[in-house]
Amino acid sequence: MSSVPRGVPLEQASAHDTHIEAGYVPSGFAGELAWQVRELGGLQVALPAPTPAQLQALAQHVRSQADTARLSLAQTIAQIDQVVHRLLDAHNPQRQALNHWLARSTGLDAELLRLGLNRYLQCFRAPQLQRFVVEDLGNPALLDGFEPRAKGGLSLAQGPGLLMHVWAGNVPGLPLWSLVAGLLVKAGNLAKLPSAEPLVASLFARLLAQASPQLAQALAVVWWPGGDVAREEAALTQADVVLAYGGPSSLHALRALTPLTTRFLAFGHKLSFGMVDAAALDQRRVHEVARAAALDVVRFEQQGCYSPQLFYVASGGACSPLDFAHHLQQQLRALSVQYPRRALYVAERQALAQWRAAQEGAALAGAPVQILGDVQDPFCVVYAQGPEPLQPSALNRTVRVVAVPTLGDALATLQPHRHLLQTVGVAAAPQALWRLSQALARCGVTRICAIGSMTLPEAGWHHDGRFNLADLVQMVDIELSAEHAADSLAPYHINPA
Amino acid sequence: MHLSRFAHDLSRATVGPATRALMGRVLDFMATGTEDEAAFDALALALFAHQLAHNAAFQRFCQQRGKSLRTVRSWRDVPAVPINVFKALSLHSEPPLGPEAGHRVFMTSGTTGAVRGSHHHPSLAVYDASMVQGFERFFMQGRERLPMAILFPTEQALPHSSLAHYLALALREFGGAGSAYFVNAQGLDVSGVCAFLQHAQAQGEPVAVLGASYSFVHLMDALAAQGRSFALPPGSRLLDTGGFKGQSREREPQAFYDDLRATFGIALRDCINMYGMTELSTQMYDAGNTTQPACKRGPHWLRTRVVDPLSGADMPAGEPGVLVHCDLANVNAACTILTEDLGVQVPGGFALLGRVQGSQAKGCSLALDDFLQAARA
Repeated sequence: MSSVPRGVPLEQASAHDTHIEAGYVPSGFAGELAWQVRELGGLQVALPAPTPAQLQALAQHVRSQADTARLSLAQTIAQIDQVVHRLLDAHNPQRQALNHWLARSTGLDAELLRLGLNRYLQCFRAPQLQRFVVEDLGNPALLDGFEPRAKGGLSLAQGPGLLMHVWAGNVPGLPLWSLVAGLLVKAGNLAKLPSAEPLVASLFARLLAQASPQLAQALAVVWWPGGDVAREEAALTQADVVLAYGGPSSLHALRALTPLTTRFLAFGHKLSFGMVDAAALDQRRVHEVARAAALDVVRFEQQGCYSPQLFYVASGGACSPLDFAHHLQQQLRALSVQYPRRALYVAERQALAQWRAAQEGAALAGAPVQILGDVQDPFCVVYAQGPEPLQPSALNRTVRVVAVPTLGDALATLQPHRHLLQTVGVAAAPQALWRLSQALARCGVTRICAIGSMTLPEAGWHHDGRFNLADLVQMVDIELSAEHAADSLAPYHINPA
Repeated sequence: MHLSRFAHDLSRATVGPATRALMGRVLDFMATGTEDEAAFDALALALFAHQLAHNAAFQRFCQQRGKSLRTVRSWRDVPAVPINVFKALSLHSEPPLGPEAGHRVFMTSGTTGAVRGSHHHPSLAVYDASMVQGFERFFMQGRERLPMAILFPTEQALPHSSLAHYLALALREFGGAGSAYFVNAQGLDVSGVCAFLQHAQAQGEPVAVLGASYSFVHLMDALAAQGRSFALPPGSRLLDTGGFKGQSREREPQAFYDDLRATFGIALRDCINMYGMTELSTQMYDAGNTTQPACKRGPHWLRTRVVDPLSGADMPAGEPGVLVHCDLANVNAACTILTEDLGVQVPGGFALLGRVQGSQAKGCSLALDDFLQAARA
């Protein structure tokens, strides 16, 4: 039993509140658990921080509720849709408070956040979710019961009894992908909140509990400091499937604690980039492409796995790759007025300074590298004459423009890093796009989109090339022989003597 | 200390007249013991002018930064060379010659795949004078000699390590009878160190143990495995330096010094951490590690600023920033270095801060550190 004052429950709080209660545990558990208060941009956030024993009890509860409180897929989608519409409602005081807190806790531009979150939430409305299910499973009814198959027999998509989510990072709302997937496959969901952004997932869970107490009984959203072996082991050993986000060291540690037979789905940090072909480099188009590229750089300050860190630009267009770099710089300058970069902490400024100094050193030592703009600019474009080994940027609006004779010349430098690549934004004519896409697929790239859409993946995208729902479920087949064998045991069966 | 010896060393060095004259001025400035800002300024500006005139790479760097004799009016204006730039460039005012001419090159310890920086010293006269005077004041604290156990390879084994040279100099200038190295090709000689410490304990004579911080971790792990600890005689002291650099377990400073106290029976105020870097010619020290973070300071020919890493502007007092050292003993390369160390100004010096955590943006975008880690794996 904890005596920590927990503050105003998140689903009732307004932007003026300074002490709020976040996370979510099924009714009956809240009073029992240990709570921990974390400071987040001036806001005191109390989070349920169960002990290892409490985690086991929660896991068992969630698992059993998932089993007994099954809603149909249509009902589940309707409930999620209802919550998403409440979150999309600009007049909803909880959404307004959320905007306020997210801006304070992440330091991201408030307007950019509001727009980003809106576009993001729209992915979870009913029609999008229905498409999401069809995309992965073909027949949505497979999640509700056994469905006949053309070859004979029946199949069912059985979700995990306990799906353990480990969320990381502070890209607002990122956890919703995995949480919604868990709800759609009717899993019992036990989730660990990210320390840096616990609010969106908490609010979603709490609104869901209001909309559908039944559904929310099979859900717990808690927190503990990452790396707490006793708690992690308690949770991971209970799970049927683990869905973990994070950096290489934390994923490695989590995997080591997970039993060998438990399915462990890891979403590690990824690198994404853009490719601009000569066709896009005439005086009119270069402006549009640079604008779109700058938007992808500015959204979420390059913190998303789909955010571009560099652009390969082909030579031979009306504008040179260096011209493109200057256009990109201009667009970033314009956007820095409209959407100012958030204030950086000293460690982040240091990371930028070190990256810049490394470029400066290379340039002074004679490498074909050019730093555009001034050290005081809240962005930085580095132009390099490629091909060169793949190099990430320092994030926070730092980007590398690599000139290559043709886009195909960049491919060889990508091969060694195939396990790290994700999204490529392409500006090229159709034939070049198909050709390039084939080659990029062989390099490990899993998503190809327009420049400007890199940070806005479509609902139902294959995150890191995987199936969102199909990876979570287990297919259960009733073969034709079982039907025949059962038929032979029916009371109305007439034995052909 | 016989400072005249370093002037003698300088007289025999293979350096041009301009460098020789400037090194002579630096040696004189070290001998004065003055904290006078104007005198420091004058010498810093003389070094800047010298390096701008004779050091082609530094010249290019200053051009890019728009710094010239006209815009640099005090030591605070001298452009600070970032460690990453130092690594990439060959910064020298004297044409580089080999060891046969008495020149020495110290190289930074590099992680796999990373560029190693090199610091060219046409003469070690100023480096040695700086080391000896700093060590005498901040570590020996009035003692002439102490028997020393060195937990680091010899200078012969690591000719490009500035730390190996530093420790060799410490042993030569200040080591008492029985001083010895306890790291050899086979690694750490644990039984040798134990015999050394046992002897000191039996004799009741104070000793010094010096080495890389990670060597102390290895030694303490080995002693703990044997269940051994010591109570070294009063006046004994320890010097650790360099942090852990992935060579041993990472330790929090407080836990590390508590362990040192428990293992060697030495008060925290006598556990001294030296902070130095290959890019500099002068070291900084704390006055023991009773409290964390410990205040560090250097001699009067080195001044430290805490700056914003991007703009290079001074941070308001008490706010963390990145350390810039202006080291007048850096005659050949560049006198002002922008480090990658976070610190904060405190009364009497500065304190080093660990990695600042918790508050930065954390997404799922691959960060540079992770990329390098993945590339090495």
